[in-house]
Order: sequence, then C-alpha cells, then structure tokens
Amino acid sequence: MSAIQPVLNESLGMEFVTNLLPHLINGLALGLLFALIALGFTLIVSVMEVINLAHGSLFALGAYLAMVIIDPSLQNAGPIGLWYLGLPHLLRYAIALIVAPALVAVVGFGLELCLRRTYGKKKEYGLLLTFGAALVLEEAIRLTWGPVEQFLSVPKEISGAFIANGLIYSTYRIYAAAFGIFAIVLVWLFLAKTPYGAIIKAGAHDSEMVRALGINLPRLQLLVFGLGAALAAIAGIILTPIWGLRPHVGVDAVIPAFLIIVLGGIGSFWGAVLGGLLVGMGVAITGAYASAWSLLSMYLLLILVLTFRARGLFGKKTALEA
Amino acid sequence: MLTTKGKAPIVSRQMLVFFAILLSYPLWADAAGLYEYLGIEIVIFIIYALGFNLLLGYTGLPSFGHGAYFGVGAYGYGLAQLYLDAGFIPGLLLAMLAGTVASGLVALFLSHRRGIYFALMTIAFGQVFWFLAIKLRGLTGGEDGLLNIFRPDIDFGLFQISLKSNFAFYYAVALIAVLVTLLLWRLVHSPFGMAIQAVRMNETRARFVGYQVWWIKWTVFTLSGAIAGLAGGLLNVAQESAFPDTMSLHASGLIVMMVLIGGGFVSFWGPVVGVIVYYLARDLLGSITEAWLLWYGLLFMAVMMFSPEGFAGGWGKLVAWVRRRKQGEVLMGGAQND
Repeated sequence: MSAIQPVLNESLGMEFVTNLLPHLINGLALGLLFALIALGFTLIVSVMEVINLAHGSLFALGAYLAMVIIDPSLQNAGPIGLWYLGLPHLLRYAIALIVAPALVAVVGFGLELCLRRTYGKKKEYGLLLTFGAALVLEEAIRLTWGPVEQFLSVPKEISGAFIANGLIYSTYRIYAAAFGIFAIVLVWLFLAKTPYGAIIKAGAHDSEMVRALGINLPRLQLLVFGLGAALAAIAGIILTPIWGLRPHVGVDAVIPAFLIIVLGGIGSFWGAVLGGLLVGMGVAITGAYASAWSLLSMYLLLILVLTFRARGLFGKKTALEA
Repeated sequence: MLTTKGKAPIVSRQMLVFFAILLSYPLWADAAGLYEYLGIEIVIFIIYALGFNLLLGYTGLPSFGHGAYFGVGAYGYGLAQLYLDAGFIPGLLLAMLAGTVASGLVALFLSHRRGIYFALMTIAFGQVFWFLAIKLRGLTGGEDGLLNIFRPDIDFGLFQISLKSNFAFYYAVALIAVLVTLLLWRLVHSPFGMAIQAVRMNETRARFVGYQVWWIKWTVFTLSGAIAGLAGGLLNVAQESAFPDTMSLHASGLIVMMVLIGGGFVSFWGPVVGVIVYYLARDLLGSITEAWLLWYGLLFMAVMMFSPEGFAGGWGKLVAWVRRRKQGEVLMGGAQND
C-alpha cells in the first residue's frame, strides 16, 4: 500500500481516512454478506426455533453448485452443451446466481422435512440433526469436488481492480457490497410489504396462533427454511470468490452468522443487518492493522456487547430462552 | 427422562459390567480385532463424555464449545511438561486446573443465560479459545500444535512405571476412568445432583423453590470443564502432543453427538455407549470407505429423527416392552409416554 501512497493529501488525518477507504469497502461488502447469511439464519431460528448448524454447509453447497453451473464440463454433451458454453460468461454467472440458490432451497426443503420429526421435542434434537446434516453435506461436497481449493470464476465485467485517487480498489468487492445491499432490500421488501412476509413474521411471533388462524403452518415452515437456505447459498456465491472454495468454507461463514445473530438480537431484522455491518467493519479494520488477529475482533465485539446488553442490540425476551 | 432417586448403591450392576469390560479390555482386544491404543482413546473420551453429560444430560445445558476446555487441558499438560517438567500426576492436576480456570471464567458470562443464548455463547467462547490456540504461536505452536511431549514415568518412590507402553498407560487411564465414574455417579445421586436436575426440568421453578440457580449452573459448567481438562491432559499423554483441532467447533460438536447418540438424555451410561459407537463406527466404517463421516452423519440424523433418545433410550424401550410382554399386557401402539 505504501508504494502508491497518495501525494496529494496534505493533512495526515485525510490520508489516514483515504488509506482506510479500501478496507472500509471490504468491511462493507463482508458485513452486508454476513448480514445476508445471518438473516436466513435468524428467519429459521424465529419460525422453527432451530439453530441451523448446517447453514454453513448450505452456503458452501451454493457456491459449489454455482461453480458447476458457470463452468460445467459439457464438452462432450453435444450441441446443447456447446451452445451453453458459448453463452457469455456474465449470462452464465447470472443463471448460476438464480439456479444454484433454488437448488439449495430444495436441499433446505429436504432438511426441513427431516427436522419435522423433532418439532415439539427437546430443542437439542433439532439442533443436532442439523449438525449431522452439516457433516453429511460437507462430506458429500468433499466426495464430489475433492478436498483441494477450487475457484468460482467471476465474469470479467465485475472482476479486476481500478485505481482512484492513488489507491487500488477491487471492483469485485464494490459489486459484492452493492449486491449485498440489493439482496437485503429485497428480503426486507418481501418481509415488510408482502402478505406472505406478514405471515412469516406472525409465525415467528406465535406459530400456534398462526396455525389457529387457519394458515398452513407446515408449508410456511418449509418455505422459510428454503428461503433461509437460498440466502445462505447466495451469500456463498458472492463471498467465495473472495475467500476461495474449500469443503469446510462453511464454518468460516456460519460462525460469524452465529455471532451476528447474538450480537444483533435473535429474531431482529435490523439487528442482523447492524450486527453484520459491525462484524464486517471490525474484521476489515483490524485486518488493516493486525491482519493475524482480525477474526478475534468479532468475538471481542460480541463479548463486549453482551456484557452490557444481555439479549444483543435489538433482542427482546422470547420463548427461545425457556 | 433422566431422573435419579436419592438412594443409589455405591457400585451399581451396570457399573460392574462397565468396569469388568474396561479392566479386561487389553486381554481380549487383539482377539476382537482391536488394539490397545484404540482403547486408550475410547476411555479418555468416555471420561470427557461422562463429565460433559453432567452438563448436557443432567442439567440440560447444551455446550457447543466444550472442546475448548478439553484442548486447554491438553495444552496445559503439555506446557507443564515443557516448562515445569511436572511429571504425570502433577501435569494432569495442572491440566485439570487449566480446564477449571478456563471454564470457570467462561461460566461467569454464561450462567445467567438460558436456551439458545446459552448455546450460542458457548460457541462464541469456544471459538475464542480455538482462535487463541492457533494464533499464540509462541506458546501453543500454532496450527502445528504442541509437539514432542514424551510420555513420562510415574515415580512411586520405591519403583517406577513407564507409560511408554500402551499397556501400562491404558491401565493408568482406566483407573482414572473408574475414579471419575464413581465420583460422578455419587454426584448425580447426591442432593446437588437432585438440584441440577431440578434446574433442567424447570429453571424458573427451581429458583422459586430457593435454589441458587446461577451458582448451580456455574458449578456444573466448571466441574464439567475440569473433567474435560483432565481428559484433555490424558489425550496429550496418549498422543504426545496437543493440537488446536481438538478445540474446533467440529470437535466440540462431535462430543455432543457422541453423548446424544448413546442416549445421554436418558441414562448415565449413554455417553459411554455413544463414545464406543463412535470409535467403532470410525474404525469399521473407516476401513470400508473414506467417507465414513458421511455415513456416520446419516446414522446420526436417523437416530435424531426416529429414536432421539439414542441407543440407551432404544434399549430402555426394549426392556420395558419385554417386561410388558412377560406380564401379558401388550399395549397397542402409541401408549408409551416419552
């Protein structure tokens, strides 16, 4: 970074801020995508009262599926395969961004159908079922795609870097941040402005009452789990070009998601967004000064917040504590 | 449901069976196609799992970061050997102390939490320890782990026993397992044992009755952390090293899995069964397929779906069914109350 030190900044303070700017953009991108993972996670926790430990595996699965959809090995698959490979990279990427989360949502449906047997029993059973599912998914990924690191190829339109004001910015991270905002707004519109969103929120508040009002609760739960899984998959597709794609990459995603949920308050939409931004910024800024310790900042942040606010920033007392 | 009555024999019938298997293992291990070192790891994890079930099964507090205290014990033992040249028993005591201090500190933050918040906080703290183990390279050796901590001799003054042979070390571990089992069995049948079960059944009501719930939760968490530390120290002796992997979320999840697949929620012996099932599955499935974790995960999912009380729960149902058959009153389906 020092090699391209801006000469134009006279004041030390100004220089400090602008040098930090790329890190802040990284933090923003990271935070928004963490928030996206956490949103799916908190939806599932609120409606089904299950901590989905397989969330990270769904994140990884989404990324792997996208990788295959972008660059399938279709050379021998005849004219249709060749036609598909002839499509522009950007178009195939866009297809992957829609199809892979949809496929992961189907896996989520399957997982929810398995989980259904544990409803009404001890909470730990559901949680552990998802832990088993995480093991299974991770092993399945390792068997299918091998243990070595792979790369999700990103179209050239959104990759590369540019120099502005003497500092290097990664185009992809700006795209990632913009996409994060777009996806979060979409989820918010869905939850706040559509009738189905209202039902989901009601289900999170009191699922028995929702059922008593004649809503098909099992179908609602299925949908919410699928939605949560799809959000994890989308975050996976956007984040793994930055992180690299390994079978256990899910753990790197699920841990911040846990922390964000607790930090923001379980069941709170804006808590998850704010928590995500705090964690993303914290990781990026400590990364700028002491990169080896950057991940520790989020744990310390959590412990700090919880010492003063027992239920996180926006948390309310819920049935989940009983 | 895991409930104990106040009165219990000091040594129960199941316990005698367990001790008999435990102490005779090296005699028939080879014939059964097993090996001594496997027995060592199994018994160490049985100690760990029994202590963990005090927290999970008896008090109903799910910890997903218990690998931290296990790992702290392993590192504690290793550091005690490297810097203090502590010897076997003082080293283990220091490992236990390390587990106690670490879990006692964490429990300060956890003991007023319930349910999901408790579980998530244990994950967060577990990750902190795991992270420190990787990053404090000077102390812990980083990702490579703390290596070359050779097995010491036990000095009894008049004579010495070398732990270099797996045979001698197995009996040292088995002896500790017997002590821990007797101790925990007494504990869960003591008035304190009744109190922790009251906390599991209804924390609010336990508080209204007059129990110091915060204090009970702190004590149980710290106690299970101490036992995890002891087991971790033993694992260090077994492997002659300590690795950060023992503290990962994955490893912490596995111990919960072992305890539950055996039936920790319904029986004192659940964790023992679970650990044995895990290691046998690892060795048997592992000899057939590389992806044994896939099959073990599927087995585990099936257990959670169809018989969430684990093997001990299934066994209990079978015993109850046989008993009813004997009495000639076969109840038609669904009359069981679980």
